Amino acid sequence: MLEVVRLSKKYGKLLAVDDISFRIPDGIVGILLGPNGAGKSTVIKSIAGLVRFDGEIKIGGISSRELAAKKIFAYVPEMPSLYDGLTVREHLEFIRRAYGVKVTDQDVEALLARFELQDKQERLGNELSKGMMQKVSICCALLIKPQAILLDEPMVGLDPAAIKELKQVVLELKEQGVTVLISTHMLEMVRELWDVTFVMDRGHILGSYTREQVGNEDLEELFFHVTARSGEERSEGDQSEERSTESGQNGQMSPESGPTAEKGAKGGR
Amino acid sequence: MSALLYLYRRSFCNRVKKALRKPATYFFLIFFGLYFFLLPYSFRVMLEDWKLDSPEGMVIVYAVFAIWIIPTNFVAYARRKGLLFRRSDIHFLFPSPISPKTVLLYTHLKTQLTNLIWNIILFLAGLYLFRVALWRMVFYFLFATLAENVLEASLVLVLYGSERLGEKRQKGLMIGAYALIGILVLLGLGVYLKEGLSGQWVRSFLGGDAIQLVPVIGWYIAVLHLLFLDPTPVSVAGGLLYFGLTAVLFAMAVRMRCLGDYYEDAEKFADDYEEAVEKRRQGRTDVRIGKRNKLGKAHIVYRGSGARALFYRQLLEYKKSRFFLLDFNTLVNLGVGIGIAFLYCKEGGFGDFNDFILPAAMAYVVLIFAGYTGKWGKELLSPYTYLIPDNAFRKLFYATVIQHIQALINGILFVLPPALVMGQPLFTLVLSVLSYVLLCACKLYAQTVAEVAVGGVLGQMGKQFFKLFLLGIIITAAAGMGILGYMMGGINLAYLLILVLLAGALAILMTISTLCFYRMEMVQ
Repeated sequence: MLEVVRLSKKYGKLLAVDDISFRIPDGIVGILLGPNGAGKSTVIKSIAGLVRFDGEIKIGGISSRELAAKKIFAYVPEMPSLYDGLTVREHLEFIRRAYGVKVTDQDVEALLARFELQDKQERLGNELSKGMMQKVSICCALLIKPQAILLDEPMVGLDPAAIKELKQVVLELKEQGVTVLISTHMLEMVRELWDVTFVMDRGHILGSYTREQVGNEDLEELFFHVTARSGEERSEGDQSEERSTESGQNGQMSPESGPTAEKGAKGGR
Repeated sequence: MSALLYLYRRSFCNRVKKALRKPATYFFLIFFGLYFFLLPYSFRVMLEDWKLDSPEGMVIVYAVFAIWIIPTNFVAYARRKGLLFRRSDIHFLFPSPISPKTVLLYTHLKTQLTNLIWNIILFLAGLYLFRVALWRMVFYFLFATLAENVLEASLVLVLYGSERLGEKRQKGLMIGAYALIGILVLLGLGVYLKEGLSGQWVRSFLGGDAIQLVPVIGWYIAVLHLLFLDPTPVSVAGGLLYFGLTAVLFAMAVRMRCLGDYYEDAEKFADDYEEAVEKRRQGRTDVRIGKRNKLGKAHIVYRGSGARALFYRQLLEYKKSRFFLLDFNTLVNLGVGIGIAFLYCKEGGFGDFNDFILPAAMAYVVLIFAGYTGKWGKELLSPYTYLIPDNAFRKLFYATVIQHIQALINGILFVLPPALVMGQPLFTLVLSVLSYVLLCACKLYAQTVAEVAVGGVLGQMGKQFFKLFLLGIIITAAAGMGILGYMMGGINLAYLLILVLLAGALAILMTISTLCFYRMEMVQ
């Protein structure tokens, strides 16, 4: 389970994420949607422990900052950065040692074969294309046998075969009860994967929706519908703020409650 | 820790293996091998001249290193900028279940190979150059590799890893580091007022008792006194304080809680560092880590088409920059020009070398900044340069024309101050400025030739050496022509012949560059 409770993050004076909360239970695939600058990357970096933040993040019920939580958490960043001095195989060996996971050579071989990396095993990190690096990054994440996995734009740079394989992997992880959070703009690619989606904009979660709630509505349509509505509300809010400034009232809208969001949608301010 | 040791070991082995496969490695090994083989001989002569070839001299020389390195490291650690994390560390290490403290120690460990080599060099230098007894140097080596390392690692953990430090205390520590430098400056000033500026000043300041009482830096110098000279009450006290500080910091480092708050700063620094490295690889030696050029708003009207777009785009970029065509190079040229003028006035001329000083300094400055490629270096790396539908010569010309204008401005600023104080005629001044512009142009086009000739084989450093080699040939030939002209008809003829030679070299380089550029277009 992945829990984000009242997460806020400021960069200097810029409030990148403002008091957001959501929860993804075991065996559920969550999708983080939002336009550029919505705050998705900040949420992801906070979960991965790469930035300081206010609030609390729990992985499998353990604070994300504890080593025990990190041990069951895997992260695939948007831009993979491999070690120049390690081969593909050595990256996996390093991860095996760092996470203390018990995997056999056969497991490693199988993983490499699954992502068509067997013949690249002895290549150094800086000798690979972006797509290959992404595959290695995914293999490293899967080697951990995580209970929660965070994939940031995982399909970018992958070839069709690898995308197909990755989708299959996500479905398998779901079956195994792993919590999956994917941040992506490639909505087509996650159409058949998602269980719950969180739509973000301007540091807030505008709404969280389960597949049952949405019914036949396409993710893309949902995304545009929610962000457009938010835009309208924001402009209305701005107008009413102007009015309320005159009359001394607050123009903030009340939050709605989404199915998996502890504190769900927040309208524009 | 086993994972990190594995990472360190495998990265090191693979890098060595990879380097050994490149011919450039052998070239640099021979070059630097010879350099370091010959270096001690010149150092020995220098130290003997300055009467520093003794254990006292060693204390003084090492004290200079301490004053230079300790405060710099201290400030860098306090600002969480001293340790170098790579993007791969951020990807794999930071989210991993490896304790953030261990991650810090690992990054510190990465610097230890260089430190070990450095300590071996200092060990040999102590024996060979400063005539220190072997047993003392063995103790120094143990101190430098063990005790000093414990102090630095503890300092790294406490300053980088502490999550209770807060911004205010962080600033306080930085102020403290600067205060230490301030104390040293005041001490130096005090000794200067007492003894005047002489060789004795250096001895009294760096080898005296007072400096050994300055916290951290001074205490380190006290340990050097203890190791290389006979103990004195001050050096014993300073040494004890140094080891006491090490013990306190070590205890603090062990007990301190660290959950990885520094990851955010480390990530920012890693991004800035890799960006700066990439820009430096492109020849932009003026780039500083984490410092971005502030660009303003500007407008430009594009006239013409094809390669001219390169000129207008560059002009737009320059218009947006704060100082337009002026940059760090301009400042250096002006500084050197003023420096020469000042020395001329102070020394009452340069005797027989009056006429030669300017061209010699000119050649020196161009050689020193040979690595700086400006916008041309960037242009060569941009795919758009090759995609523009125009011929190679026009692209080469329009992509470099602004840099020729820059060279003209820099040349004027370089030549004007000394020419004025020397009372040079206007004609000579014009000739010397033109020589400077042509020399800079040769440097510019030598970049393209080097890129094609050795770029693929010898890498970035090989390119620089090849460029220096080409420039060296041109400058030597120009000097020969200059001397010939001077003997035949004075300074103006000398400059004229230099100009003829440089123009010839430029024509050749430009032709080769155009051909090379054409070839690069095909490859791209």
